[in-house]
Amino acid sequence: MKVKILRQVSPFSESYWETFDADVPGETSVAALIDHINYNDDITDETGRPTTRIGWECSCLQGVCGSCAMVINEVPSLACETFVRDLVKDGNGTITIRPLRKFPIVHDLVVDRSSIFENLKKTSMYVEEYRPSSKAKKAKQKEELAHRYQTAKCLKCGLCLEVCPNYVNGERFLGALFANDCYLVSSRNPERSAEVGKQYAEHFAAGCSKSLSCMDVCPMKIPTIASMAKMNRKA
Amino acid sequence: MRDAIVIGSGIAGMTCAIRLAERGVHVCLVSPFPSERSQSVLAAGGINGVLSEHEEGDSVACHIEDTLRGGCGLAGRKAVTGLCESAEDIIRRLEKAGTVFSVDENGRPLRRAFGGQSFRRTYYCGSATGKHIVSALVMELRRYEARGLVERKLWSCFYSALISDGRCCGVILYDETKLDLIPLTADAVVIATGGQNAMFGKTTGSTQCDGYTAGKLFTQGVELKNLEFIQYHPTTIETKQKRMLISEAVRGEGGRLFYLEDGRRVYFLEDKYGPNGNLMTRDIISREIDAAGKTVWLDISFLGEEEIMRRLPEVRDLCLKYIGLDIAKEPVPVAPSVHFFMGGIAVHLNHETNIKNLFAIGECASMYHGANRLGGNSLLSAQYSAIVAAEEIASRAPAGGVPDFAAELGEGRAHLRKLKESSGSRFPVTYIREMLADTMREDLGITRDEASLRSGIKSIDYYLSLADGINYDSSVAMHELYSLKAILQLARATLTSAESRRESRGAHFRADYPCEDDSYAAATIISYDEGRYSTRLDEERKYES
Ligand SMILES: Cc1cc2nc3c(=O)[nH]c(=O)nc-3n(C[C@H](O)[C@H](O)[C@H](O)COP(=O)(O)OP(=O)(O)OC[C@H]3O[C@@H](n4cnc5c(N)ncnc54)[C@H](O)[C@@H]3O)c2cc1C
Ligand code: FES
Repeated sequence: MKVKILRQVSPFSESYWETFDADVPGETSVAALIDHINYNDDITDETGRPTTRIGWECSCLQGVCGSCAMVINEVPSLACETFVRDLVKDGNGTITIRPLRKFPIVHDLVVDRSSIFENLKKTSMYVEEYRPSSKAKKAKQKEELAHRYQTAKCLKCGLCLEVCPNYVNGERFLGALFANDCYLVSSRNPERSAEVGKQYAEHFAAGCSKSLSCMDVCPMKIPTIASMAKMNRKA
Repeated sequence: MRDAIVIGSGIAGMTCAIRLAERGVHVCLVSPFPSERSQSVLAAGGINGVLSEHEEGDSVACHIEDTLRGGCGLAGRKAVTGLCESAEDIIRRLEKAGTVFSVDENGRPLRRAFGGQSFRRTYYCGSATGKHIVSALVMELRRYEARGLVERKLWSCFYSALISDGRCCGVILYDETKLDLIPLTADAVVIATGGQNAMFGKTTGSTQCDGYTAGKLFTQGVELKNLEFIQYHPTTIETKQKRMLISEAVRGEGGRLFYLEDGRRVYFLEDKYGPNGNLMTRDIISREIDAAGKTVWLDISFLGEEEIMRRLPEVRDLCLKYIGLDIAKEPVPVAPSVHFFMGGIAVHLNHETNIKNLFAIGECASMYHGANRLGGNSLLSAQYSAIVAAEEIASRAPAGGVPDFAAELGEGRAHLRKLKESSGSRFPVTYIREMLADTMREDLGITRDEASLRSGIKSIDYYLSLADGINYDSSVAMHELYSLKAILQLARATLTSAESRRESRGAHFRADYPCEDDSYAAATIISYDEGRYSTRLDEERKYES
């Protein structure tokens, strides 16, 4: 199979495509595939021309840290839980890999996602004092808890931003991960609801066209639409 | 003190930064990547504590005794008492920070059984406890970031400590955005860089936990402790990219280990240790699996799909995704793997190292777990150690002036230039790292002996002799290049410590000395001086005060 990768030496250089030959079993993840290409004495492209090792980021290698987010066959995905068998048939075909486009490139597949964290800081996404409402009925509380459990699993990987037609560079519209954090803050401290609601209206509701593609690519399967409904109800 | 640098932003680093900020100390929190990428998010099963509402018969005293017993006489009573007594406060604070603990119908946090514990006292968030704690702490920390009390420094790695006359006044960092070394000074430095999993290649942990910081500090005069005590987790699965943990929560929820003999299931742990055999401590179970010499299976399918989805959803997802097996329907084949480091940087009760104003917390420090850690105690100790260090730093007077470190910085830059300018055939560091991992797994396995340890030391010495001479591949990240030598030195120190302990205790099992020996009932301390590795037993218990 062929592995076609969009590469870039540094933030200041031009990007270029490079194609590699690889032969790995179908149950190999894309993370292990990149490792396989890198683990060679002299790494060469498909024409046999010597080249450099591919830069990429990983940590947990089991889909819970968000490090290895990239675009694989045009789908924003985590490399460590995307498998070769689902990308090419019988080991024949091409796997195309490129870095997330919505963030500045650091090197090859490594991007700088600092803007995610800067924006959450700028918009004061923190609880201050924990005062969850205890007035709700038991069944409702249970449902809230289940949603909070799911939402707090957000990896801040940026896949939802990559796929979103409205997210550009995080200057105004801040995307699904922001909507989910808005919900978490206001559910933990309803006294901040009004303030958070305002941020939500400005940085999310005003820009979301409800394509909901964010939910399709979320590795944690966070039902962002439920966070939206809860935030809209609060507003 | 006025300011502190915290290196590492996992659960320990974040907790320390929060507590320092609460006390008005300005913090610079350094890590190459955000906290969401730290190993802490992998913690699955839960956190231990005896709260005011507890299982009948349980008590803080009992938690202390279980922890000391698990540690096989090597954990200090004072430290462990502080740890267990603070558990309620720590867990309550986590709740207040918004950690989504699993609760019962009445909203009370649930507890599960964990290995080596007399009662159910492990609080949990499904089987993603670490992730939920990290999420809550990230938000809590953001409040202090917004106020300017905590400044996060991403894309930066620890390179070395600035130490003069036995006092630490800062660090040199490698800044990946500037591609350069930068000095940073403060009244105190706190190391929170986690364990050294990556030294063993594929383990249950994160690739970021490479042991470099502990190794580098060791060569700068910081003493290390109990390195030979490495926890092998008994139940992990093999995948193409790593060994993945099947949380102890599975056994806590009733999971049973067996092997097949003539087509019949043999529940070997229950046969040997009674009905609670599956919840013996990790060191014992790992050795039993190793000794069985057959494929061992873990079964929880009898719990049924609904209960499994309620209590262990992440474990089920993981097995389905990576080995295509449904734990609600069939047992999983498991084997032990390196998982946790009881040893690490030697610290006093206040978490200060033998270098003044240099502290270590979390998994990189050695304090509470002795010869074997009980599951659920490290999420607790990561936070407790952080709080102890923060309180100490906040209560101290500001440190004096900062000496001139221009020479150290110049040397560092020259060293990196040399690595970058390597030419000729390019040798990827990964090759030596891979050989190192093979050596460590083989020669420092669950069972060791003099011959294997000596052979391990010989191999590491050989890799060390290569490290200075190879032509590095400058296309890999700079941290990969400069970290190699100190990681090898840490590996050498680990094997040397294991060789010096001629007895078996907890996770350290010597085939040639299979019994516990009272004359070794003290921590191993190792120090470094120009290529010499010297071990001693801390018989005066210097590090317990
Ligand atoms: C799979 C798994 C499951 C676990 N389950 C449990 C459990 O259920 N209960 C329990 O109590 N414990 C559990 N543990 C253990 C527990 O998770 C860890 O001991 C704990 O989270 C360690 O936290 P830490 O903050 O010390 O380190 P880490 O979370 O590892 O954080 C280390 C930080 O240091 C940074 N860093 C590393 N090197 C450098 C450098 N050179 N420069 C700058 N920064 C650096 C990293 O980027 C990271 O931010 C588990 C461990 C694993 C691997
Ligand atoms: S490496 Fe953690 S999600 Fe892929």
